[in-house]
Amino acid sequence: MAPLCNLEQPAANPFWFSECFLIPMPMGRAALNLRELLHAVRELGNGVLFYHFFQSRLITNPPEIEYPNEFSAWAATALQDIKLSEKLSSFDPFEYQNLEAVRQAVTDLLEEYLWDLPTVPWARPGLEFHFCQASTIVMRSEISAATLRDFCTGLRQVGLDSIYYHFFESRWRLGTREVDDFSYWLETNFELPDLVAAIRNIDIYFYSLQETRKTLLSLIEGVAEGGGDG
Amino acid sequence: MVNLDDYIPIAGPEVVEQLHRLADRLGPRRVVNINSTRVGGGVAEILSCAIPLLKQLGLEVSWEVIQGDPFFFEITKGLHNALQGYRVPFTDQMFAHYQEVNRENARKFQWEADYVIVHDPQPAPLIEHLRPQARQWIWRCHIDASRPHLPVWRFLREIVRQYDASIFSMSKFAQNLPHPQYLITPSIDPLSAKNIDLAPEDVAAVLDRLEVERDKPLILQVSRFDSFKDPIGVIQAFKLVRRHTPCRLILAGGEATDDPEGPRILAEVQEAASGDPDIHILLLPPDSHRDINALQRAADIIVQKSTREGFGLTVTEAMWKGKPVIGGAVGGIVLQIQDYHTGFLVHSPEGLAFRIRYLLHRPELARRLGGLAREFVRLHFLVTRKLRDYLTLMILRDNPDSRFIEF
Repeated sequence: MAPLCNLEQPAANPFWFSECFLIPMPMGRAALNLRELLHAVRELGNGVLFYHFFQSRLITNPPEIEYPNEFSAWAATALQDIKLSEKLSSFDPFEYQNLEAVRQAVTDLLEEYLWDLPTVPWARPGLEFHFCQASTIVMRSEISAATLRDFCTGLRQVGLDSIYYHFFESRWRLGTREVDDFSYWLETNFELPDLVAAIRNIDIYFYSLQETRKTLLSLIEGVAEGGGDG
Repeated sequence: MVNLDDYIPIAGPEVVEQLHRLADRLGPRRVVNINSTRVGGGVAEILSCAIPLLKQLGLEVSWEVIQGDPFFFEITKGLHNALQGYRVPFTDQMFAHYQEVNRENARKFQWEADYVIVHDPQPAPLIEHLRPQARQWIWRCHIDASRPHLPVWRFLREIVRQYDASIFSMSKFAQNLPHPQYLITPSIDPLSAKNIDLAPEDVAAVLDRLEVERDKPLILQVSRFDSFKDPIGVIQAFKLVRRHTPCRLILAGGEATDDPEGPRILAEVQEAASGDPDIHILLLPPDSHRDINALQRAADIIVQKSTREGFGLTVTEAMWKGKPVIGGAVGGIVLQIQDYHTGFLVHSPEGLAFRIRYLLHRPELARRLGGLAREFVRLHFLVTRKLRDYLTLMILRDNPDSRFIEF
């Protein structure tokens, strides 16, 4: 039987949870059809792309996630163009180095798709795409973890914004889709490679923030209760 | 008085603790809210709820109300309607009187503040007289200003552009302004009479008093009897449903006294419902919050078949009761309802009938949609989220040149 993980084992470096507060800032611009979306994606600032690919995860955070970004959701529900939605759902912004590269890739995708269409798809009335960016405050909370037990307590205490910041947005900050703040801390402070791998295997696109919190807790506590590691 | 801690069992301890941390970071600040009425109307309701809670968080918050004569309020009603897109005629004399009343009010205000939040157009010109009395002036527009009547907006824009920032309720209401615009969506208070939990016997008592039997599934729409809420369309849908499944329809709400079409619509609704014992038209007084709450809790399906809508707080309230909601795909309803997740969006009476039938025969799905809808509201549309947004906004406005602040 694999050895039990000790929840009380101290970490070399404590984990400090940060909190992330976003306020959307509407741009006063909307797309009524796919061509207008393409033009806006070409022209609007990087903050707008960042909002609709990343920050909207925290702002809209639906209890169940069907579409991984706001563009694919819009294609499906507003344009009712399922083929385009499928393409946009598979688009992974974490594959690109910077937002300019993301913009180029989305522009290419939309342009190529439009090129082959006989008519431009229009949004259902009332479902126009409204562009936003956001202002952000990131604040170190008073919640820290020196052990795995503290970490689980902290995960329960922090707001969903903190889960978003450390588990989703951090991948962009760290420049790699596979690594988030939580698993990085576990990797660098404990000998728990299976747990780290299990956390990195969570498909971030289809977990809501509350599901993410529950899954993380169940993985960590599962290891402690006898799932074992190593 | 409601205590901030009362929200802990509803919103979660982490949400309330976070408010304290944000308020500590912000530090003691003086905030003045200004609007045009102490009672009645959505803004007064919002301020009555939010101000005591902000005070509990350590802020020094006051609420000023501007005074005016009947002509002034006639003008501001016109401004309100013009912002909503109605072609309201305005004369130079009206604009001048609006400015003059604000000038008179400005003479009475002696406070000094860190932030002034001016609600809607009525007190907007105060900034022209009181600018030095506060560091930050923020215009809070609660109105659907997506397509304002241009001549009136041109006039108002010259006033609003003097502010340091403005806040709108939905992205589509944002305007071309030379300062930062923020989005703070409306919210509901889960502890208000409209939304607080009711015991089943209290719900039953209300239905008995309103003479609504619960022998068949109940379909409910809560709204004023005006054309944009499409009560006639709801009755058409109900009659289509009843060809297949027995049920009752309740249309509950007040008269639209400020809508010239109101009496005609109500007469049409009464005509369409006459002689049908399964259709209940309930004309309720404006303070019937508890009755509305009970009706929503008794309903099997709640509909909001609007053809035009601001944010649609009646939808939020229905979702908070854990009910499956079917809404018209307009305004803020589309931000709240996602097909097959938190409800259904429809575009016609036929669409509404189809989705009602679908849900009546899939009670498990109806329960699931209702559960997800309640959770969605809990996360995004409770008053605690609005408090968090205001605290965040104030910290951001302390650092106006930065869109990203890290502490």
